Order: sequence, then C-alpha cells, then structure tokens
Amino acid sequence: MPETNYNMDMAFFVDMQRCIGCHACEMACAECETNGQESMIHVNYVDRAVSVQTTVQVCMHCENPACANVCPADAIHQDDFGVVHSANTPRCIGCSNCVLACPFGVPKKMEEAELMMKCNMCYDRTSAGKKPMCATVCPSQALYYGTHEEIARMRPNSTPVNSFKFGNQEVKTKVYVMMPKGAKQLIVD
Amino acid sequence: MYRLFQTLNRRAFLKAFTLTVLVVVLVWLGSRKLQNFDPALIAYLTGTVFAVFGTSYRYSVWIQRPPTRLYWQRSMRFLFSRHFFPYLWHSIKLFFRNILFQRFIAFRSRRRWFGHFLLATGCLLAFAVTIPLTFGWINFELRPGDDQTYHAMLFGFQAGTFRLGSPLAFIIFHCLVWCSILVTVGAVIMMNRRFTNGGLIATQTFEDDLLPLVLLIAISVTGVGISYDYTFLEGKTYQFMAVTHAITVILFLLWLPFGKFFHIYQRFAQLGANLYKVEGARRGMAICPHTKKAFASQTHINDLKQVTKELGFDFDKPDGSSHLDLSPEGKRSALAAAHFRVRKESGKFFG
Amino acid sequence: MAKLPTSVDRLIAAFGPHKAYPPQSGFYGAHEPDELVKTHCCYCGMQCGIQLKVKENKVVGFEPWMDFPYNEGRLCPKGVERYLQNNHPDRLMAPIQRVEGEGFEHISWEQAMGKTVSEIRRIQQTYGKDAFAMLSGVSLTNEKSYMMGKFARVALKTANLDYNGRLCMVSAGAGNKKAFGLDRSSNSWADLAHAEVIIVAGANISETFPTLTHYIWRARDQGAKLIVVDPRVIPLARTADLHLDVKPGGDSALFGAMLKILVDNDWLDHEFIADHTVGFQETIEAVKDYDLDWAEVHTGVAKEKIWEAASLWGKAKTSFLLHARGIEHHSKGVDNVLSCINLVLATGRIGKPYCGYGTITGQGNGQGGREHGHKCDQLPGNRDITNPAHRQYIADVWRINESEMPGKGLTAYEQIDAIHRGEIKGLISICFNPLVSLPNNGYVREAFEKLEFYVCIDSFLSETARYADIVMAGSLHEEEEGTVTTAEGRVVKINAAVTPPGNARRDGDIIMELAARLGEADKFSFASSEAIFNELRLASKGGTADYFGITYEKVESQMGIFWPCPSLEHPGTPRLWEDRKFSTPDGKAHFNPVRFKPPTEVTDEDFPVVLTTGRVVSQYLSGTSTRRIGKLVDQYPEPLLEIHPKLASRYGIKTRDLVRVKTRRGEAEFPAQVVETIREDTVFIPYHWGGKHAANQLTIGNLDPISKIPEFKVCACQLIPTGEVASAALTETAYQSDL
Repeated sequence: MPETNYNMDMAFFVDMQRCIGCHACEMACAECETNGQESMIHVNYVDRAVSVQTTVQVCMHCENPACANVCPADAIHQDDFGVVHSANTPRCIGCSNCVLACPFGVPKKMEEAELMMKCNMCYDRTSAGKKPMCATVCPSQALYYGTHEEIARMRPNSTPVNSFKFGNQEVKTKVYVMMPKGAKQLIVD
Repeated sequence: MYRLFQTLNRRAFLKAFTLTVLVVVLVWLGSRKLQNFDPALIAYLTGTVFAVFGTSYRYSVWIQRPPTRLYWQRSMRFLFSRHFFPYLWHSIKLFFRNILFQRFIAFRSRRRWFGHFLLATGCLLAFAVTIPLTFGWINFELRPGDDQTYHAMLFGFQAGTFRLGSPLAFIIFHCLVWCSILVTVGAVIMMNRRFTNGGLIATQTFEDDLLPLVLLIAISVTGVGISYDYTFLEGKTYQFMAVTHAITVILFLLWLPFGKFFHIYQRFAQLGANLYKVEGARRGMAICPHTKKAFASQTHINDLKQVTKELGFDFDKPDGSSHLDLSPEGKRSALAAAHFRVRKESGKFFG
Repeated sequence: MAKLPTSVDRLIAAFGPHKAYPPQSGFYGAHEPDELVKTHCCYCGMQCGIQLKVKENKVVGFEPWMDFPYNEGRLCPKGVERYLQNNHPDRLMAPIQRVEGEGFEHISWEQAMGKTVSEIRRIQQTYGKDAFAMLSGVSLTNEKSYMMGKFARVALKTANLDYNGRLCMVSAGAGNKKAFGLDRSSNSWADLAHAEVIIVAGANISETFPTLTHYIWRARDQGAKLIVVDPRVIPLARTADLHLDVKPGGDSALFGAMLKILVDNDWLDHEFIADHTVGFQETIEAVKDYDLDWAEVHTGVAKEKIWEAASLWGKAKTSFLLHARGIEHHSKGVDNVLSCINLVLATGRIGKPYCGYGTITGQGNGQGGREHGHKCDQLPGNRDITNPAHRQYIADVWRINESEMPGKGLTAYEQIDAIHRGEIKGLISICFNPLVSLPNNGYVREAFEKLEFYVCIDSFLSETARYADIVMAGSLHEEEEGTVTTAEGRVVKINAAVTPPGNARRDGDIIMELAARLGEADKFSFASSEAIFNELRLASKGGTADYFGITYEKVESQMGIFWPCPSLEHPGTPRLWEDRKFSTPDGKAHFNPVRFKPPTEVTDEDFPVVLTTGRVVSQYLSGTSTRRIGKLVDQYPEPLLEIHPKLASRYGIKTRDLVRVKTRRGEAEFPAQVVETIREDTVFIPYHWGGKHAANQLTIGNLDPISKIPEFKVCACQLIPTGEVASAALTETAYQSDL
C-alpha cells in the first residue's frame, strides 16, 4: 500500500565494542515515526561497577524469529525483506512470550498499553530508502547501515557475522555483528 | 481444492461443523420452527452461519498452536482452581475494562482509544441487535384489536411491550442508526490517523488496515441510508440502499474469520494472559542470574522452555541451565560480554 | 539588589527548569513540516550539521543532515534532543523585572530598556565607566561575539568585558599563541582519521564531543594506536591501547617525562627542530631530571606505561595529539598545554598530512567566539587590545578615536573579585551562567548579591538570572542567523529556523537598541547578520584570525571555510603550517620549557582525597538548556560521586549512599557510585547542576597566571558518609537547582 523502496543491498552492522554508551541511538529511535516517541533500542551497562562497557541492541531480525514462533496471537509478522515487525496492535495480547523468548532480549512490553513493541529497523525510513535513525546518528558507528562492500572497505580486519549460538541453539539473523577476521559465529553461552 | 483438503485441520473442521449445526438448530428452535423468521433476512442468515463456521474453524486452528494451546490450557486450569472466585471476579473486571472499554488502548493514544471505543461499541451493540433478529429469536408483533402497542417477542415469548410513537419505540427502532453513527464517527477518527500518522502510513496495508474501515463506514452509511430513505425520501432509494447494505454486511461476515476483525475473538486471550501473570507471580518469580532481579514468573520461564522446544528451539546450555533463564537485560549483557571476549582474544578491538 | 526576590521554589514553579518532552506521537507537523532548515547543533564545538523541521514557525523535530561533511548525519543525544529547547514552556517571552518578595513581573521593552540605560548611566557617572562590567559567552555566533566586544568598548565604554570562554580553552589559546603565534587547532579532523598514533589528554571525547569518536575509531580501524590520558576509564579509554590514569595535576610531569624519553632515545626530528623551532635546548634542560621513577611518583602512572606511551609516540610516522579541559583547567593550564606542544614539536609532526595537534573547544562557538573581541584583552581578528597598531586599526573600523577605546579589563573570575572589592557595581550578562559554571560558587553568589544593578539577556531564567534586576528575553540559537567557527577552525552557517516567540527579541536587536539608547546608534545600525559579518571580515582583516575572504555565500556553498582566509579567492586553510612559516614574530615554532609544579591544593591529613570535576554526555555546560529537556535529564538525573571501591571501603561507602564532600570552600552531598573506573585516590563529580547539587560549591577559584582559567580539575576534599541512602526525591528534583 505505501510506496516501498526498501533497498536489499543495504545491511545493518553492529559492533558493540565501538559503543560509547551515549544513548544518541535511543533518543533518535524515539523520533522514528513507527514507534511514537517510544525508544525500541536498548543501551545498558554490562556491569557499571567494574567497567563502562555498554551494549547496544537493535532487533537482529532473525531468519526464524523465536518471538514470532512463541507468539500465541500470531501478532508478529516477518515481511518479504526479512524485517520482523513490531506486534500487530489489534492482535497483541500483551502476554510477554516474545519478550522472554527472544535470545537477544529485544522486544519490550508496554505494560499499561498491554502491547509488545520492538525495533522494525525504522521501517518508515528504510522502506523509503533512508537509513534507520539509530545507525544514522550513532557517533561511534557502533551501529552502521550500508552495503557489504562499504563495511568491508571501512573495516578491513573485521568480518560481519550473522550466526549466533545460544546454548544448543544456532540463530541466524538479518543483522550482522562485526567480529575479528575469520570468525564464523558468536558463541554467547 | 485438493490442497484445501490436504491442509484441512480435521479437528477444527469437526468443531466448527458441530458449532454451525448447533447454531442452525438454535435458529430453528429459537424462531419457533422458522415461524418468527423473516425471510427477507435469509441472505444475512446465510452469511452469519458461514461466519460462525469460519470463525470457529480459525479459532480452533489458532488455539492448537503450541504457545496458544499452552496459554489456553493454563488459563483454564488457573481459572478453575481453588482461586476460582477471586480469579473469576478479576476476569470479569478485566472483561469490562479491557474488552468492553478497551482501556489499554488509551495508553497507546487517547484519540485512538476514543475512535476505537466508538467503533467497537457501535459494532457490539449492532451485533447484539442484528444477530437475534436475523436468527428470528426476536420479533415484534401487533396484536389484533390494538394497533398502537408493540409486543417484543424473544424466542416466541413476550419480553415487553411499548407504544407505537413513544420515545422508547423511537429509540428501539432506531437502535441501528445510533450504532451507525458511533461506528462512522469512530471509523473516521481511525481513518484520519491512518492518513496523518507517518508511522502508520509506512506500515499499514490496504486490506488489513484501510479496507476494514471502509467496509464499516459503507455498512453504517447504507444502514443509516435505509432509515433516511423511508423517513424522508419515501422509499425512492430503498432498493439501492438495501442492496448495498446487504452486500457490504455479507462481505463483512464472510471476511470476519480471515481478516482484521478476527482480533475481536482473540482479545479474549488477553484475559487469560492476565490471569497467567497473576497466578504466575503468586507461584514465584524468576531471578535473572545476571541482573539479580526478578523479571518474570518462573512458571512463564518454565513454560517457555517447553514451548520453544515444541517449536524446534533448544536454548539449553551444557551445564543444564538455559539461555532463557536470563532476563532480557541479562541476555543483552551476555551477548556483549561474549563479543568483548572474542574481540579481546583477537588482540584488536577495532578494524 | 540582594538575595533572591522570592523563595527558590516559587521561582522554579514560575520559570523552571521544567522537563520538556515531545507529545506521544510527536509534535504536530513533524510528519509534514513546512521546511527543513539546514543549520548546526547549538551544543559543543563540533557544531554538527543538522536539519530542523519547522511547522508554523515552531521547531517540531529534526532530520539528520547527511551531506554535511564533518558529521554526515551523526549526532550525540544532545544533538538529537536539541530541537526541544524551542517551543519550551519555560521560555521567556517578554522582559521581566524583579519584584521584591514576589519574584518577577512582565514589563515592556520600553521599561526594560529605559531602566537599564538609566542604571548604566547612574553607575558609570557615580563610580566610573569601568564600574559597569559585561560578561558574555561563546555559545553566541561570531556576529554576536563581535558585536558584544564592540558594544562594551564603543557603547558601554567599559574595559571590563570578559566571557565564559575563560572557563573553556583560554589555557590552550595562550599556549598556542606562545608556541605558534596563532590560536587554532592545526588541522581539520580529516587528518585525525589517518594518524598512526593518537594521544587524547584530558578530553572525554566520548561524552563531551561524541561525534568526534568516529574519527578516532576510523583511525583505529586502520591500525592506529590510541593513548588516553585521564584519571578515569572514560568510554574512549576502555578499549584504548594504553590508558595513562594520570593523577589530577600530574599532566606536565607526564609530558615532561615523555619528552625526556624522546630525547634519551633520539626519537626526534632534528631537521625540523633546527630549521623551524627555537627554545629546544632550554626545554629539554627543564626535563632532564624527569626520569621514570620521578615520573611515576608525580603522575601516579606506572612507569612501564609511560615508557610505552613515549615509545609509541616517538616511533610513529604520523600522529595527532588532542587535549581539552582535563589538562587546561589548572592553575598551570598553560604549562600543561605547552608540555603537550613540546612533544609535537620535538617529533616535528605538524603541518604535514595526518600529523596534527589541537585543543578541542568545548563551547558551541568556542573557537570563533574567542577570536573576535569579547575577551578582556582582545580585539577582533584575535588582535591585542594593548597593541597600539591593533587598536588603531579597529578604532578606524569602528569609526572612533583610538584614545576613546578602553584598555585591557578584568577576566571573568577577576570581575567577581572586583565586585567583592566594590569596584564593579553593575553588570550586564548574556549567555553565561556563572552561578553554576564558576568555581567556589558560594563566593560568586555573594558577589551577585552585592551588585547594585544586574541585567541579564537570556532565553530562560538561568540560576544566575534569578538574581537579576531585569531579564531581557533574548533569542535561541535557531532564532538568529549567523556563523560559528567549529573546533577544527571551520566557519559554518547558522540559519534562523523560526523567529523569537511572543515578545522575545533577537539578541542582536537587543544589543543594537541598547547601543542606540547609549548614544551610539550610528555605529550599531546593522540591517542584517550578514552586515555584521561583513564588518567583522573587515575588522579581522590582517589579524591572525583573518576572515576577510569568507562570505556567507562561500560558507554555504562550500559547507564551511577554514580560516585563515585572507582574500575572496582564498580557499581557506584546513591544515596549518604546511609552509613551515609560523605566526610568531620570528616565524618559528617555539618550544617552551615547562617545569612541573604541583596543583594549588594538594591532599593532606585534613583533606586527603583528590576531587576532580567534569561533564556527562547528556548535559551541556551549566545546563540552562539541557536541564530543561526531559530525556536528557532522565538519562543522568543528578550528579553522582564516582569513587573507587578501595577508597569507598575505607569509609564504608556503598553505591547510592549519600556522601558529604567537603573542601575548604564548602560542602555538598552526593550519592556515591562505586566504580573501578577511577583512580583510587580521586573522586569525580560532574558540574552541570546548580544550587545544593553544584559541584562548583567545592572547586577552587585559583587561576592560571597567564590564561586566568580557574583550577576546576583538582582540589583536595574530605569524604563524610552521612549514613543515609540517597533518596529518590533528591534524584528527581536535582535538575531544578533548588537550594
């Protein structure tokens, strides 16, 4: 229905070690029109008592999204571009299954609105050929949105990885994490 | 056709079929062997019966999905537990608050709530009037000798009387007009959002988001049109109004099981989800090993471990614990910590 | 004037700070704005390009400006939220006047101007011209900065004009002038992205100049080594190749010791030193005893790390050294700067591709604002007010007699002393909130209470404006056209997005009317900002900061021009000193011998802990604007006392415990944040808050003898646990600066 101009050559790359914890992405996320002043990106200290390390988490847009699978209301939809959308508002019953099942800890439950909301990669912008808000403003470019060629040129010693291991589960995602050259998978735990 | 049979869900079909037969029987009985049935409404009746079949089929398929089934079973078990009365009371309160008044929508946006409330109230009231009429469960009679008193009949029994031309008669006979006004105003508010809110414009689709509103407005406008026609136009446009109204209503009924309106049935699951949360909290909370804070009920975590397994995910770790034991913040930190380790071991954080 | 006109609570209720949030689904018109205005962020010296969305003369949102070359759309949280300062409920919409016991009342511009001018006349006739002082600020555009300087000298005729740049980068400016004869970062940031070794000293880039991080990370992507000098593990230091956790006040010892290592290992550019510099021998003579053992004692940094840093720097082919307030806010700030420059000159890595040096200016127009004459000793074009030729040139531009031009006045903090001494009786201020930003602010507050008349031009009622007799409702950054000069020396264009709301007026118009009423209308009859800029171009012509060849048209079409730009054909100068001709009288770069001196206040038995101050990413300077933006306040709602667990355990302090911090000047209570990311002997408090939450109640007002910058970054304190846990109520109201 809306004119879509989604560019499949563009990809999202995350490198948490570049993150300086400034929260610019979080502020900018709230300006994305699809989520009405709610911020969908997560920035948190890993353990402030010992380090200033922060982590930044956008929706990874899994190829087989656990959130959509565990949704009892069929409220989470993955489109043809592989974007996993925020909960369909009429359907979502606010049960939090997706919040707790997502291996990346992404979906957010808006308690009073009885609604799950999550990052949809700034669909209003990406579907119009623009970059997502967070990756546009990120001053450290811990979040980068561009082509594979661009990232390869800019970060010659890193490899984009989109395979993760959580326990016994392998998860493949649309979003990449930048890893040392040659890495194939990020084993989380 | 072959594919349809291949993918036919036998259980759902059986349930839906049974329910449909039951409705037909109830129509037969409720209308006193069709004595009170208005033959002019036959098209509406057919549509409604189809809607019953379609909706119940889809509902049944829906609750067979592992997460839904689990929620369904759990909430039934929690409701019919030793806490039955408090939970029943809790659910009734929630029914009024969340289903009839849709208060949760107000936290998404006030205007949106207002639009939705008008629209939903109009629809529900209209259902409450038209379904019994279509089924022949309600009819109005004039008795010989008194052409001024209307007798309202429910299942063939007298349920009340009122004078022709009285304010009550005006309210009752124009009930659908009131509904139409509510629906129209609500739908226009909702439609306006869809044309001005950038986020909605980007994500909406015609069939899921605009068509339902168009359909509701069409039903309402033609419905009011019938009334307007016989009040002011002496039936000059009756044919057109009646036919378009019937077509839009039947389209609505046929589409009910498949499209956006199915969410009306799904909403009830919100009551179950709520009960699940209350009972879960009572049974004990799960503490995140990373943040050391409670983040969800342990029941929920345990159930999710089972459901994810049924769905083909295995988040178990070699040490016997599970990735799902972590809170969302814990999971994000675990990922960041793992990434930090890999980067550090490589000797370079950058490049 | 004396104390506050009424209770602080009543002032807060009427004028804020209140936290502003956008409505749930954004402001009306954000989806389809009338126009997108290309301008720059109002915070910090990076001056990131940004587009403001305007609907019906209101700023309703922003859209990243992808084409602006410095930041290509990147922004920090302050930049993202900056649009919320417009359209703010606390905004002053008309001039207000102090009413004893009541607070403030609205008055007409006629009344405000009339009263102000009569008070200026009264005070100057009674006590002399210099008894009426002016304080300005470098968040103002070049045009306004220029006009403030002209206004003070031509209309007010006072020598006592200074600005809040005095708290910013004056140590760097003084050091740069001594060494290079010119005060500007030597390179554009483009060179930074390709340097092989980068030293960042006392610059919390990731929080105070977040968008500059990208350039450092880009350099690291290509293998650059990053050395961070800071008492805290700032986000930039977390992954740095080397973090030198220097003890506050130990900077010149560190750089002196590094210089000695360069000399001992012959990691020197002899040719450059011989041909293009003077003073090398005296300089290395000064550090000849600074061996590693000595250095370890005086810097608090492990000697291996010092050696490693010197060897990385010494062996590099290209390098960039950056510093900021961390080494500049000291009673020996200029020395610290010079000791950094000595490292750069010794290795000859300046004036070449990918080789650079610079201070990172903190304020929005910290660079341009410090060049065009609202500094007590300066005239436009970075000219010297004590130099007869400079005076004559500017007097001609201003069409006044050179003899009428006042001489050098008092610096900002010296003005406070002069108020205490009774020499200054009246004050006009703009864009400066000394009650939050000056050290030892109990003393500063007493000074404001002694003034006979104080008029303030501001958009919000800042903590200082609460003490004013009259507050004139001025303009915000997005309400007046002009130019600013970024920290890399790039002159960029600020475009007006909206007009001032209600009865508020443009700062420029206010100053022009005041000047006219003071009898100087003919010298302040600018028809536009561009007209002011054109006079500034002429005034700066031939000065070290030469803007003559820069025009609005050039700035806009070329996305900024680097000064010096002496002629219309000149393309601007992104990289200085490529010709090796320095701006010093002898054309050489000057080494300056630096001997280590301890800070004014060293720890002792009574005050055993080092206190240092700084900033957080979500706030800007004294917070007049950023403490009014909801999400920025919520991100870091109150100043926390960062303390190492070992030090904390000595006092039994845990995270969130309320700790009283006491110095010789005052005491205040802060919730503790126990973290391993700070030196064990040092505590840190950010300074953006006022009233009882002000870190500057504790800091010391001792000044650098040359730059007159106060020693914000080091003093001695004692810690007294109150035994209480900090309350949520305290957190929630800290942004209001209650007393």
